[in-house]
Amino acid sequence: MSALILISVLGVVLLYLGLFEKKSWLAPVGIIGLLGAIALFATGWNIDHALLGGMVVFDRFSTGFNIGMAAITILIFLFGKDYYAREQRHVAEQYALMLFSLVGGFLLSSYTNLLMLFIGIEVLSIPLYVLAGAKKQHLRSNEASFKYFILGSFSTAFLLMGIALLYGGAGSFDLAVIGRHIAETGGANALLNFGLFFTVSGLAFKMGAVPFHFWKPDVYQGAPTLVTTFMATVVLMAATAGFYRFIDITGMPPTLERTMVLLVLATLLVGNVIALRQTNFKRLMAYSSIAHSGFLLLALLTDHGQAAGHGTAVGHTLLYYTFTYSLATTGLFILFTIAKRAYNGAEHNGIFQGLWAAKPWLALCALAMFLSLAGIPLTAGFIAKYQVFLLAIGAGWLKVMGFGVLMALLGIYYYIMVVREVFVRPEQPVAFTVAPLNWVVVSVCAVGVLVLGVWPGLV
Amino acid sequence: MELLALVLIPLLAGLLLLIVRPAKSARGMAMASTLLTLALVCWLWYGWNGGMTIGIAHDWVPAWGLRFVLGYGGIGLLMLVLTAVLFPFIIGTGYKQPVGDPSLVNALLLFCQAALFGVFLAQNALLFYIFFELTLVPIFFLLLKWGGEHKRAITIRFFLYTLLGGLALLFSIAYVTLQTPAPHSADFSALAALHLPMHVQLWLFWTLFLAFAIKMPIFPFHSWQPETYTMAPTQGTMVLSAVMGKMGLYGIILFLFAIVPEGAQHWSGWVIGLSLFGAIYAAVIAFRQDDFKRMVAYSSMSHFGLMCAALFTWNVYGISGTLFQTFAHGVLMVCLFYIVGAVALRTGGNDFGGMGGLKTRMPRFALLFMFVVGNAIALPLTQSFVGEWLIYNGLWEWNNWTALAGVVLIVLGAIYMLHAYQRVMLGPDRTIDVADADRGEHAFLVPLIVLFLFLGLFPNVVLRLVDGPVQHLLNTITTLP
Repeated sequence: MSALILISVLGVVLLYLGLFEKKSWLAPVGIIGLLGAIALFATGWNIDHALLGGMVVFDRFSTGFNIGMAAITILIFLFGKDYYAREQRHVAEQYALMLFSLVGGFLLSSYTNLLMLFIGIEVLSIPLYVLAGAKKQHLRSNEASFKYFILGSFSTAFLLMGIALLYGGAGSFDLAVIGRHIAETGGANALLNFGLFFTVSGLAFKMGAVPFHFWKPDVYQGAPTLVTTFMATVVLMAATAGFYRFIDITGMPPTLERTMVLLVLATLLVGNVIALRQTNFKRLMAYSSIAHSGFLLLALLTDHGQAAGHGTAVGHTLLYYTFTYSLATTGLFILFTIAKRAYNGAEHNGIFQGLWAAKPWLALCALAMFLSLAGIPLTAGFIAKYQVFLLAIGAGWLKVMGFGVLMALLGIYYYIMVVREVFVRPEQPVAFTVAPLNWVVVSVCAVGVLVLGVWPGLV
Repeated sequence: MELLALVLIPLLAGLLLLIVRPAKSARGMAMASTLLTLALVCWLWYGWNGGMTIGIAHDWVPAWGLRFVLGYGGIGLLMLVLTAVLFPFIIGTGYKQPVGDPSLVNALLLFCQAALFGVFLAQNALLFYIFFELTLVPIFFLLLKWGGEHKRAITIRFFLYTLLGGLALLFSIAYVTLQTPAPHSADFSALAALHLPMHVQLWLFWTLFLAFAIKMPIFPFHSWQPETYTMAPTQGTMVLSAVMGKMGLYGIILFLFAIVPEGAQHWSGWVIGLSLFGAIYAAVIAFRQDDFKRMVAYSSMSHFGLMCAALFTWNVYGISGTLFQTFAHGVLMVCLFYIVGAVALRTGGNDFGGMGGLKTRMPRFALLFMFVVGNAIALPLTQSFVGEWLIYNGLWEWNNWTALAGVVLIVLGAIYMLHAYQRVMLGPDRTIDVADADRGEHAFLVPLIVLFLFLGLFPNVVLRLVDGPVQHLLNTITTLP
């Protein structure tokens, strides 16, 4: 709880710093606050405590996710130091909005009550609508913001509808009560089934699962890169955690299971296949993120609620998967920004050309991170995918997993296409200017995915 | 400890090359590293006790049964010897036929060697998989940077093709690991103790086989191979055909025969049929090629088909013959691709059209080539003769008709090889000014020729390695219910 308050107050403090035009203080103060939050979470490790009358429970799962999200936010703030170097106005607001959004993420990873789920999602999303439009003069940024807002409102409406139906069926907002009720009725209650369906659609929208994925490419492309990074990492982590909590406590009746299988298959297929044809790097990352959501959903599919017992393994897999995915994505978006500047604002995949010739170390970092996303051994991405494999095969989803394997192969293809560009030597040498802090963050991300790939026990 | 050193020496040597980037001594350093590993492997051979030796065993991720276990038995040792013997020659190819920045090329080759040693030493299925995939990364860059025409498209195709097999393998490993009793283990010893029900073995066989069939390659999973071999720089082709293809045969023995023996027995007729058909098909295509390197690529595929067919005959001749032949084939491929490279350097291309009549200009080279051709068509006294003789015995025991297919292959092999020799060396003299084999080329080819003649005369040196393991394998198979 104290961490939640700390981050909320921190956001306000940053706003005041902005008011007094202390721009250079923003990132350091934010990072110190986030470190404080991590410390507070860490002291609460292994102590389950419930708040607000049991509507929020901080247990090991949520603490792990919260620390992960805060850590990734720190990396993004470090990146922000350079990213916002040339901007003078409204920088404080952006930092503050990200922190507010993070608070929503914390709630999503720890709710046990549908009201908290709703509040969490709104607190997470509303700052994002603003952030996506942070480049006020850019058409694309405005488009992103508008699209995200409209579609996000729709999904919120779905979610509310679902919550209302669940309440109508079970007579409570509490997930455990709803779970018991579903178990008793054996999933035969139409009201509950519709409720589950709509709630899951709302959650799937946040994860970008097909067919609720249409916002992702446009928003990723239009939003400022730093905001895109935040969305691709912290928001995905929060949405995954929220999804997991819902499934883990209410359980998975057969009707929901069938829906989930369709969701998994469609997400894996669409995400991977459309990614093949992307030439814009940000759109590529958007579709790749959809594809990764597919694998995350596959892991979720194997969770049959706390009663079935192996929910912890799923939770651990999700945390490991999203955290390592976020590390690689953060590093790659930073490299993308560096390359974009070197190529005067171009965003196609070819802007990575010449990186090996100019900055060999960064090229190796890019290689490590791409291979991690693709799931090649000795990187964290391999471990993450293998955990999903084990879960899915252990739960008997052999055919779905077989399909997942084929899709993983497609995934390797589009990452390797970009890797290939990194090692191409262009006709004229390209000058990449790299701020020292960015260099450090990229190295941390790359070394992180390698270290976690060799010692997966660390997460 | 020495097993870990076997993986670490090339790895560290490669890293050193990458960091220091010596301009002149890069090849020398790489050569020293490969000779060191060769000495180490010889020492292992000397101290081998005839059974299974486990050098290192550490837990890595206990939850999934991943353990860092390195060890070797007779078959593994044979593969280690093959890798260790051939790599000095592969590195040595760079002296006469350089491709690019020597420190980078040699570093990649050494990384490849490290991963290959890992593959042949791993005693845990997941660890095997990790090394199996890691061999691809250096070769990917080798092809991408110094390949020939259309290198970018072909490299990606090759990479995806082999990864498809790799992912199928990973899927199977995950599945079988979960079948082991509660603290799951992916050690080969634990997996071999599994008795999977027949209906599982029937499909699991194919998901496992796919990985190895693509690696070798076996018809109809071969379409990446001719293009990749032709386009790759000579050293890359040598690694691919002489050593990496062997991972497929090794994997079949390690996985298919141990984990899904009944499935393998059930499908053996199909596999032999596919392999032999592929072998004949490749031999016919080889004859029709106008490109020297592509012809050798198809001949390699033809040999792989024969070896794979013999492996599935389930008798001592077939299996030991294949294992012996893996060695012979490795030596042969290094020789042939070296010759292709040497001729291409002189005539400016791999096309047969630009060759012919070279014998009068380079008689000594022609003589060396003739020896290699003799080995390729399995003349008596050469190493291939022993291997193929055993293989035909194996095929004969399995079924007389398959042996007939083998005989057809002998004839076809002789036809395309001699035809190639004729088109390169004989015929009207092209008045191009080419130099005869120099000292470096002699230093490369003569030791290999001596090696394959020696092993043709004394095949027991190698056969003794695989005797025990093959008997053991057959015993476990014949005691199947």
